[in-house]
Amino acid sequence: MVAILQQLSAGLYLAAGLSAGAGFTWARPRWARVGVGLLAAGALAHGLSFSLLHTQQPPPPLTHLPSALSFAAWVGTVAFLLLAWRARLTGLVALVAPVAFLGVCAAVWGGGDPGESTHGAGSLPHAHVLLASAGLALLGLAGLAGGLFLAEHRRLKRRRRLAGGGTWPSLEALDRAGAFAVAVGFPLLCLGVLSGALWQHATLGVYFSGSPHEIACLLATAVYGVLASLRFGARKPAPRLAASSVAGAACLVLALLGVEWLA
Amino acid sequence: MKLLLVGMNHRSAPLALREQLAVDDPVPVLRKLVSAAEVDEAVLISTCNRVEVIVSTRELESARLRLRSLFRRELSTVSEISERELGACLYEHTNGDAIRHVFRVASALDSMVVGEPQILGQSKQAYHSAVECGSSGPILGRLFQHAFATAKRVRSETRIAERPVSVARVAVELAGHIFEDFRGKRALLVGAGAMIELALAALRDAGLESVAIANRSVERASRLAAEFGASAHGLDELHSLLAEADIVLTSIGGNTPWLDRPTLERSLGERAGRPIFVIDIGVPRNADPAIDALDDVYRYDLDDLASMADRNAEERRAEQARAEAIVETERQRFDGWFAALRAVPTIRHLRARVESIRSRELEKAFARLPLDEPTRESVDALTRAIVNKILHAPLTRLRRDAEREEGMAQLEAARQLFALDDDSDATFGGGDDRDDGDDRDEDPESR
Repeated sequence: MVAILQQLSAGLYLAAGLSAGAGFTWARPRWARVGVGLLAAGALAHGLSFSLLHTQQPPPPLTHLPSALSFAAWVGTVAFLLLAWRARLTGLVALVAPVAFLGVCAAVWGGGDPGESTHGAGSLPHAHVLLASAGLALLGLAGLAGGLFLAEHRRLKRRRRLAGGGTWPSLEALDRAGAFAVAVGFPLLCLGVLSGALWQHATLGVYFSGSPHEIACLLATAVYGVLASLRFGARKPAPRLAASSVAGAACLVLALLGVEWLA
Repeated sequence: MKLLLVGMNHRSAPLALREQLAVDDPVPVLRKLVSAAEVDEAVLISTCNRVEVIVSTRELESARLRLRSLFRRELSTVSEISERELGACLYEHTNGDAIRHVFRVASALDSMVVGEPQILGQSKQAYHSAVECGSSGPILGRLFQHAFATAKRVRSETRIAERPVSVARVAVELAGHIFEDFRGKRALLVGAGAMIELALAALRDAGLESVAIANRSVERASRLAAEFGASAHGLDELHSLLAEADIVLTSIGGNTPWLDRPTLERSLGERAGRPIFVIDIGVPRNADPAIDALDDVYRYDLDDLASMADRNAEERRAEQARAEAIVETERQRFDGWFAALRAVPTIRHLRARVESIRSRELEKAFARLPLDEPTRESVDALTRAIVNKILHAPLTRLRRDAEREEGMAQLEAARQLFALDDDSDATFGGGDDRDDGDDRDEDPESR
């Protein structure tokens, strides 16, 4: 049942991305709105699949990377839907839906390493994976919003033809979405790193073992800390903040996925 | 029943004449029109670009003369207009052409700016005025409802109204790509000319509330500010106004741009990273193109806006052919219904005639036969069913064929065969018993 729901959500995410992409390519705002509906349906099926995971015997390990990615994709999608409820962000579906699709695909067809042992660590592995995945999802969303902001900013500056139809996100909406995602995502990421260190201490007796994953994560968190201070400290021009969100998200992806797979 | 439309628009008549004939309150005119025998229903549309009257009439020529007289003598607020002057400006459309014209007007295909949204609202307003004063009946009612549905189809199935084609509206569309909405935003307008006024009206329509107008002559700025509920300032306050403004719209004379990079950089320092949208419609330009290098500044000058408006207009022209095809399809559909109306009097007449024969013959039979009430009711229902069954096929055929040209001949044949134009009942199935005998003689089986 879990696999069916995951496959269903993958299909819905893919359909949402295609519908939104076609809507913006052929200037059909209705198709883009349909894309939001499909994304919401996909998020519902995806959420149900998580709730059914608890019924499995034995329950799958949370530390399994594909499962964590799938969870991050779900958090990112739900966060986007909440933001789109309040602001004109429909255009972002064309980017969010494919990323969510890839996240679910990782869970459906990921397989491989069952994850690290969680024996004797209590709820710390759960806390680490959930917090870090949620942080990654939100900072990834900030990166997508930043990318779209930069593309739109470039088109406005170069006086190129703009997308019509009233559903394309404004620069202001993208900037606010990015700010919200960083404001919530960065503390979650920090808590995720902290709970990871505590888990390490509970199992190995040290907070920091110097593994490539830990080094990359610490570096990425530090880089994001600088970027967050730029955004919320001395306010810089919005295009620079958008670029910093893209750079921060790229750092995180490299730290969490690149290093993991390279190792 | 015929449809006749007489009117003038921005292509056929100069503004001075259209102003002279513009109607603020159409109700008295409509009441007077429908009180005349030659006009059954009437609707009057009066906007800044057109004055048109459409009527349904049974006497086309008389209605035409009546409407020409209306334009020549009654609508003019200044003096009577000469027949020659009017003849050059008025157009007339009848039946299918009138239907097409009404559909094109409601769909904004006949507007000065094709696809503009106001005309649909104005058409609805004109129709509601006619309904309120009772000058619109079933025919014009159906025509206008169909026109509104056609306009909706054109808007939803084509991109004719998707992109703005005026410089002011293009500026508003661009602002919508920068700002989420206009609530809480502040605009600074520098200058007080006609272009500024147009742009201000467009921004106001889009929901902008807070506007400051700065001009060399504060008195002139005050006049415009009073009209639009804005605040008026002198040019010496520009720096402080610039720090608060989200949208700057400038069109002021002068050989050197007043909005240069150092000026804007000083203001940006006080804006905490909020973007600023500069719309420069001044000639020569009021904003130095060097400000484009600043991250939070989006500058568009008149050439940029005009070229975007031209591209949008080009796109609308491409969509116009699709819109015209929709109008033509809907016209044919309405025309079919309208043509079928020609069969209604004949069908109604024929039914009444047959029903009168049936009830008379039934009365005679009941007088002769000793039948109880349930039996009488059964016989009544039986005869009614026979009549309905006999009439069903020919009436359906008449109704269906009335939409085509040859249907007129069939209607005429029906009127002659059943002597519908003769009011005497004796002509067809009338009064005495001899007719029954005649009918029997005509019956081939009885011979």
